[in-house]
Formats: sequence, structure tokens, C-alpha cells
Amino acid sequence: MDVLIKKARVIDPTQHLDSQLDLYINSGILVAMASNLEVDHVRQVDGSGCIICPGLVDLSCNLREPGYSQKGTIDSETAAAAQSGYTHICASPSTSPCTDTPAIVQLILDRAHQARHCRVYPVGALTRNLEGQQLSNMAALRDAGCIAVSNGSGDCDENMTLLRCYEYAASQGLPVFIQAQDKHLGKGCIHEGAIATRMGLDGIPIIAETLSISRHLQLLHHVGLRGHFNQVSSGSGVELIRQAKRAGQDITADASIAHLSFNETWVRGYDSQYHLHPPLRSEDDQQALLVGLADGTLDGICSAHQPHEEAAKKAPFSSTEPGMASYDMLIPLALQLIRNQTIDWVTLVDRLSIAPARIAGINRSGLQVGVKADLCLIDPNYRWTLDASTAVSTGTNQPLWEQHLQGRSLLSICP
Amino acid sequence: MTRVKQLKRPLQLTNDGQLRHFLTIDGLSKTLLNNILNTAESFIIVGSKAVKNVPLLRGKTVVNLFFENSTRTRSTFELAAKRLSADVLNIDILTSSASKGESLLDTLRNLRAMQSDMFVIRHADSGAAHFIAAEVTPDVAIINAGDGHHSHPTQAMLDMLTIRRHKSNFDQLSVAIVGDIRHSRVARSQVQALKTLGCSDVRLIAPDTLMPPHASTLGVTTYRDLDQGLEGVDVVMVLRLQTERMTSAFLPSANEYYNFYGLTRKRLQRAKADVIIMHPGPINRGVEIESEVADGKHSMILNQVGYGIAIRMAVMSMVITGQACQSRETNYGCVD
Repeated sequence: MDVLIKKARVIDPTQHLDSQLDLYINSGILVAMASNLEVDHVRQVDGSGCIICPGLVDLSCNLREPGYSQKGTIDSETAAAAQSGYTHICASPSTSPCTDTPAIVQLILDRAHQARHCRVYPVGALTRNLEGQQLSNMAALRDAGCIAVSNGSGDCDENMTLLRCYEYAASQGLPVFIQAQDKHLGKGCIHEGAIATRMGLDGIPIIAETLSISRHLQLLHHVGLRGHFNQVSSGSGVELIRQAKRAGQDITADASIAHLSFNETWVRGYDSQYHLHPPLRSEDDQQALLVGLADGTLDGICSAHQPHEEAAKKAPFSSTEPGMASYDMLIPLALQLIRNQTIDWVTLVDRLSIAPARIAGINRSGLQVGVKADLCLIDPNYRWTLDASTAVSTGTNQPLWEQHLQGRSLLSICP
Repeated sequence: MTRVKQLKRPLQLTNDGQLRHFLTIDGLSKTLLNNILNTAESFIIVGSKAVKNVPLLRGKTVVNLFFENSTRTRSTFELAAKRLSADVLNIDILTSSASKGESLLDTLRNLRAMQSDMFVIRHADSGAAHFIAAEVTPDVAIINAGDGHHSHPTQAMLDMLTIRRHKSNFDQLSVAIVGDIRHSRVARSQVQALKTLGCSDVRLIAPDTLMPPHASTLGVTTYRDLDQGLEGVDVVMVLRLQTERMTSAFLPSANEYYNFYGLTRKRLQRAKADVIIMHPGPINRGVEIESEVADGKHSMILNQVGYGIAIRMAVMSMVITGQACQSRETNYGCVD
């Protein structure tokens, strides 16, 4: 990679940097960053009106491999991630077989390395086969390359088992990623509210999330383990996180781009593209998530990318598979948060890149001269249509399909 | 994307507002509901003649697709189609390709390839009829014969016909719906039909475990106590209680339910003297209703069955007309 990017707005909150600069990248190294750089015989990119920031970091995505290659592969989905500006992504353990052995971790890392789109950090299974009963070989998973452990979208029924899991994870120095939802209360397919009642669909009450968050908070506190909550969906959930942080507990949290961008009203007409787990909640909940994102209660935005094949969404609503392939839509949706004045550019870069990197424990130097470049270039005014010619993910579950979108990552450089 | 999703033309209507599918009462106008009732009234006369057939669906193929067991709904749909002179195909889906792993999508596409004109569908998933109308066979008229807990619009309309034939204006009536409302597609459709037709006093009576969360958003008054809820009502609609509710922590026992929510002669004294009793059937005597009430002078339960044929004839003839009109126009995407 040999390129000179001219006149871009360079944002790196770790250096309190927000200025218009030129960047020269040679052989993957950020050689120079200054005003009015001139370099001969090199490809120039006009960065006017564009943003350069440290590469984006995803705290939750499903790469589908091994086991679900009809939905996506590590090659196809890391390519989609890179196209959206991600340079580092944390992969959920919910594969088949799940990420509960070093062999699976190695397979994922090998495939990601071969694909060369972005760096992948596997999140190991907290329990064997994600069944919530027997501890996984966490030390071996850590040595194989897992940066955290998680039980995915499943839950442990037994408090004693969960306590032991957390004690063991703490002793191996592994933080835990939690998607908090009570297994039994979470059996529906839509937010429990007026729309669910009208549509005759089984609702998932907010207490399915808050009960689970409270339980995990207490167990984490008891053990002294660092925890990260993925995909918080409700205002009450955000409030529990806020209180725990105020009390000094070592926790972090994110919300998915879908939960920040949509709400339960989008499900009307039984639109299975908006069938998510946890479900899209009320407009009030969406607003509370946006407030939480702005005030830092929610540290990050995750993609919660879950690609599906077409058949997975072609059935009556409750029989469809939950999830959204969000990588290709991520930048336009994230920019909407700036346009509706939820957050500014510096905060957006923090929530999509800086804070997630810190939470995942990824050591990187930011936009430093002399080290390998790790950045993305975003054009917030780029107008395009999401269709077969522009989509990179193989997931067909993209609700903004064939819509005109604004904003795109033009370039990402992965170290 | 904080705006509320914009809806286009309702899926079940043509561009000029005629029925082309019959999926739900939700979103239909009072005029349209009255049209259905008026058309059904004319078919009641057909039913009383020596030769009961009319040629409105001659040459059309109606497929009854029941993914759930049903005796009376399915037989009244079959009878209604035959009285309209349609060819009727009954697919016993429980023993067909669905049990061999074929998806709903593929089953429907195959039936569509057989040049069917109308599918009458019952399915355990809420929204199944919407899905089929929107995604699978937009050019085949779909009649929802019950989807999950969502909607059973022909049942609600036959209930409205029953009320209209035996009571005065809807806006003067107090109507109580008693029983397992949470799991009832019938109750949801009844509430929507009653509200659309102008009934301002709709009461839902059930313990919280059988009441849908946020039920008051349906525009009704909710009661936990049967006696209070029955006070001065003109119509009582009793819902069937499925025995599985006793084994899945919704209710303690059938006996306790009968003692506190069963409709008995004694309880009925709180209603108006000329109250009418309705039930979508099949009834559980001694569980949700006392035998003497089910068979008594206030009961409309058997009248409902007869009206069911007329309503289904009305809806089938209306959607076939609407479907023919729409197919001549541009089909653009629509949702509801």
C-alpha cells in the first residue's frame, strides 16, 4: 500500500487530534502526517470532506464459519467488515462446532489470515458447546488466541455454574462478554409491547434483559471479574449499567447499530428483516440507548453482524432466524447518529474504534508516524445504492437493500 | 432512522380499497366491514333455498390449506366454496410434504403452479397469511382462516353478523370477551371488528396470565373479576380454554378456572336480561361454560355456525373480484 491522502480531517481521540492533514502511507507504514505533504510518483487520494480515523473495531459479529457457510464465510464477511472501515473484529463463539477448542480458534485465525481483510479476534465459548453446563478449556482458548469468553446468545441456567465459570475466567485473566437475556423470559420473537399484542406475536419483556443484567452484575462483582455487555437493548438496561459504573464496577457495554437506528415499529407488516435477538424495542428505549451512547454509559457501538441466506428470512415471522447483516449498512447508519445530533464525529470515532479497542484489549498505536498504519477513510457525502453490485457481505438480510444511502468507507488499512 | 416506518398501501386491499386478500380486520374501514355483513346477509337467503348454489366462483379453484387441525372452520369454508360453485381441494398438510421437511414457501409455490385461485390458510404462526400474501403468491387470493395468536377475521365477522342480527346498533352495546385472550386470535379480531363498527364498551375478562400484555392499548377495558366484567353487558363472547394452559403455568386447574371464570347461569344474572352468549367452538362444557348456558335460550352458538358459511361465501366472492381488479393494475410493493 503506497498512497498519499490529501486534505482529510484526521480524528484520533487518543491523541486529541482533530485537524486537516495529509497522510503518506508507504508499504503499510504511516510515513508522514502533516499539512501540505508532497510526494512524487505516488497514488494520490483527495480526502477533502473525508474523515481519517483509527481503523474501526467490532466487539460483536458472527462470521458463520465453521458450520454455517451457506450464510457467510470468514473470507466474505471479513471483506465486508474491511469495506466498512473495520480493521479489527471480535468474532462470536456461536459457530458450529462452537469456539470451545483451540483447534477451532486456530481454524478461524488461519482462515482470517489467509483472507487478509482485517484482523480477527475470536471470543471463546464460556462453556462447552455453549450449553451452559461444563466449563470450557479457557486457559487453552486464551493461549490459542481468544481475547475473552462468552456464552454467546445463550445463558447459563445455574447460578452455581455461572459463578464457577466466572471464577475460572478471572483466574485465567479473561474478561467475559455477555449478551444479557434470560433464557426463559427471552423465548419470544419481538419486544413485548402494544405492537406485539396487536400482531399476536410472543413478546420478550424488558425484564428478560434487566433481570439478566442484574444477575451478571452481581456475579461479576462477587468474583471481581471484568465484564462487557454486548447489545444492550432497553432503556432500563442502560440505566442498570449506568448505576453499576457509578458504583465503580469494572464493566463496559455496547449497543448494536441496529438497536440505535431502528425500533419495534419497523417490525410492522411482519418484516422479518427486523427480527433481531434481543428484539428491537420501543422508541423510548431507542432514545435511551442514544442518550447512553452520548453520555458514555454505552462505551461502544457493535455491528452484531449476522448474515443469513435468503431462506432464513423467508417464512412466517416467528419461524425466521433473528439477525441483520449490518456491515454494508454500518457507515450510513452510524453517520445518521451525527446527522440527528446524537453525537459528534470525535465521539463516533471513540465509540466505533477507540473504546472497542480498549475493551477488547487490542494494543495499537493509533495514528502514529513510523508505525504500521491502522486506519480508515470515510466519505460522509458519498452517495450510493446498496445492491448486488455494492454489497460485500453474502448475507441477504439487509433491510436497506436497494435504498439510496449516504456515506461510505473508501479505504481501510489493516496493520 | 428514528422515524417511524412509513406504510404503503395495505397488503389486503386493491388500489381502490377493495378486498383482494382477507388477512386481518386491522386497518379495514367500517364501510368495508358493513359491506361484508351485507353481502353475507344476501347469502343467508341462498342457504335457505332448495338449490343452494350460486355460480360466482365457477371455474375457480379454492385450496383449503390447514396446517393446524380444524373441523368446523374447514368444513364451513369447503361448504362456502362449493355453494359458490368453486372446485375445492383440501390439502391435509399434517400428512403431506410439510412433514417431509418441505418449507412453507415451497409447498405454496407448488400449489400456485397448479393454477389455484384462492388459498384458505390456517397456520400456527402469527403472520403466516401475511407472509404468503406478500412473499409467495401475491396473485392468488389469500383468506386467513386463523394465524397463530394474531387473527381469525372470518370468525370475527360471523360473530359481528350474529350480533347485528340479534341486537341493535353496535354503538349502543356493551360486549364482554371472557377467557384465554392472550392466546386467542379470535379475541384480537373480535376487538378490532367491534371497535371499527363503533362499539365503545368492549371488555376483556381474564386473569393476568391469560390477558395479553398491554391489552388496554387495544382500546378496551380489562377486568380480572368476571362478575364485575359481566355487569350490564348485552353480549358475552366466551373463548375456548385449551387444556395445555393447565400444564404450562398459566392456570392452576380446570376446576379453579371454572369456579372463577366459568360462565354459569348464576353469573349471567349480572348481564342484561336479553344478553346473547357466543362461543367460537368447540366448547368445553364445565370448563369455560356451564352446559345449561351453552344450550340455553341466550345461546347463539349454533346460529354462529350457519352464519359462518354466509360470511365465508361473502369474503370469498369479494376477494376474487378484488384480485381480478388488482391483477389488471400495476402491482407495487405494499405492507401492513
